[in-house]
Amino acid sequence: MMLLATSSSELGHLPILLILGGALFFGTAGARLFRRIRFPQVLGYIVIGLIVGRMWLGLIDGEMLRNFEPFNAFALGIIGFMIGGELHRDIFKRFGRQLIVIVLAEGLAACIVVGSLIGGVTYLITGDVQLSLVLGLLLGSIGVATAPAATVRVLQESKAKGPLTTTVFAVVALDDALALALFAIASSIAIRILPAAAGAAADGGILVALAHAARDLLGAAVLGTASGLLLNWILRRKRDQERALTYIVGTLTLVIGLGRWLGFDTILAAMALGVVVTNLAPRRAGSAFEIVERFAPPIYVLFFVLVGAHLYFNDMEWWLGVLVGVYIVALAIGKISGSYLGGRWTGAPATVRKYLGLCMLCQAGVAVGLALRAAELFGDQGAGALVGTIVITVITGAIFILELAGPPCVKYAVNKAGEAGLDVTEEDLMASYTVADMVDRSAPTFPQGAPLTMILRTIADTDAMSYPVVDDDKKLVGVITLNDLKQSFSAEGLTAWLVAFDLMKPVPDMVTEQLPLADAVDRMRQQELDCLPVLSEPTDGEEGRFVGLLELRKVTRMLSQEMLRRQQQVDAASF
Amino acid sequence: MTELTEYLTPERVVVLKSVTKADALGELVDVLVATDGGVSAEELIKEVWKREDLMSTGIGNGLAIPHVRMSGIRLAAMVVGVSRAGIDDYESLDKKPVHIIVLIAAPEGAHETYIRMLAKVADVLKEDTLRQAAIEADEPATIHRILTEGKA
Repeated sequence: MMLLATSSSELGHLPILLILGGALFFGTAGARLFRRIRFPQVLGYIVIGLIVGRMWLGLIDGEMLRNFEPFNAFALGIIGFMIGGELHRDIFKRFGRQLIVIVLAEGLAACIVVGSLIGGVTYLITGDVQLSLVLGLLLGSIGVATAPAATVRVLQESKAKGPLTTTVFAVVALDDALALALFAIASSIAIRILPAAAGAAADGGILVALAHAARDLLGAAVLGTASGLLLNWILRRKRDQERALTYIVGTLTLVIGLGRWLGFDTILAAMALGVVVTNLAPRRAGSAFEIVERFAPPIYVLFFVLVGAHLYFNDMEWWLGVLVGVYIVALAIGKISGSYLGGRWTGAPATVRKYLGLCMLCQAGVAVGLALRAAELFGDQGAGALVGTIVITVITGAIFILELAGPPCVKYAVNKAGEAGLDVTEEDLMASYTVADMVDRSAPTFPQGAPLTMILRTIADTDAMSYPVVDDDKKLVGVITLNDLKQSFSAEGLTAWLVAFDLMKPVPDMVTEQLPLADAVDRMRQQELDCLPVLSEPTDGEEGRFVGLLELRKVTRMLSQEMLRRQQQVDAASF
Repeated sequence: MTELTEYLTPERVVVLKSVTKADALGELVDVLVATDGGVSAEELIKEVWKREDLMSTGIGNGLAIPHVRMSGIRLAAMVVGVSRAGIDDYESLDKKPVHIIVLIAAPEGAHETYIRMLAKVADVLKEDTLRQAAIEADEPATIHRILTEGKA
């Protein structure tokens, strides 16, 4: 009997670990498969969740999902902590008032347009005032978030550089923080309009609701700040990384746990913790965030797989599809008009005013996370459950479209703004050339018997540093460099009888025209050569013909001229 | 003292028996091979002639400086051959017979040493009296002393 009891309780535990392992393993493998077809990774995880969840295989059911609630809170806490870490005062110092105005304008416009359109359309369809208000508040605040990963990846792939790019980088880092703050406010008001649990009835009207909301938010801010001060005090005394990780994760978990227990907004509390740590001790904080970031990916994977497992489209109302459409259109209107206004008020360049909004349309992790948080907040009973289902479904549906349509919009915007292809390093630039592009074909060559007097005359008239020496069949036999010639200046009388053959050095290495420039430059640097002879591509059996010399000095000069040209383009765009 | 001391040893100074350019160069090559041994006489003479074919190394005033750089050579070295009778077929720049031949051989990679040796030899032997004393001395040891001490 005893044995049976043990084994059944063991069985009760086993599935959780199995789910964890399976979700991690298949989630990652699935996402990799999706990436092959350039499908956003977050969507990959969600699709895997969809397959194993309630929607299809049913391996993860509602009760299991409830068991995972603390885990979700933890994952969201990490997201909040990382976003808080972005709010370093340097970013405000560097971009100043302009950035804050643009973020607020763009975020609030998105929040207001999405909130009012969603609320309005919901009321038209259902006629339910409470539901319309709650959905408007929740979806409006979630609409503020922008997915930094997808957006930044497009900017990097396009090698974009300029005022629009700089603004996008800063805004995507900040508007998630605004989204978290707005969501905290919106959700703590919403939960009082439509109480989740039957016991907590909406009493005392809107003022009491606002007072409760203020308590949740202030409490979260105080909790996060106090823990941040404590963590900073501890980190200052701990040098080794492993113990630091334990303290950081420990504090974060403590903040989330205390927040949940006291009914504070946990994401906001975690964000406050991140803000305090990053601003009080930037250097220590840098490694703290790095540590968490390294440790976070499996948690994110699991989190998004679980979001997918939540979804259940089978008996979806037709009008949820309408809400998805309204959400996307409203989000685009809000972000584009808000960016335009913010840009105009602060005198930002025309390219920023016109195209910033288009770069803000990607949504992913944070939006999904907040949707899941809303679902948990409203529970799975009665009207609250309906809110949760609608929010998760609308957001998931919307991000399926936004994650696919958003990146091309970013690409279009940076192209139109003329900022694509301007952020190149010398390595990038070098990678775009082959030896053929840089070889000097016109440099004079010397026959082996050319006397030193003639060589010196030619060198005086040309600007090369190295000259090829060829035999009677025009075959390359050696190279004369200015450096090698220096020795012959020491003695008078040598000029009359030294010839190219005496002064040349044998050819240590050769390259063909089609070789990537970077490879040729590597070879020159490794062998400490000033130049390399270039041969044409060998054609069946026949050795390549000598076409000219590739000079390291000239390559460097041409590359820096090209870099300068592109930098001038960036500067020209800035004013 | 001249800087030739470094490269010229007494056993690498000979009084030439040959009267033609070909034979004289052969004699000097044999001396070098006998004391270096890194290359064969055939290889060395081939390289010497490769250079001579481009332009004669008879630089005038009875002096010739055939020179070669090749991979078999171990140490930069020179061999001096003196002919009182003179070698008529050397095709010097000034068309005069050659009395002193300095064969210079250097390893492939010793570009700087090579050029410096060529310059030194031309510099030391530009003195008429020194050249004349070397040509008139009959003993290799005397010639060696004149060239390395730099006075007649």
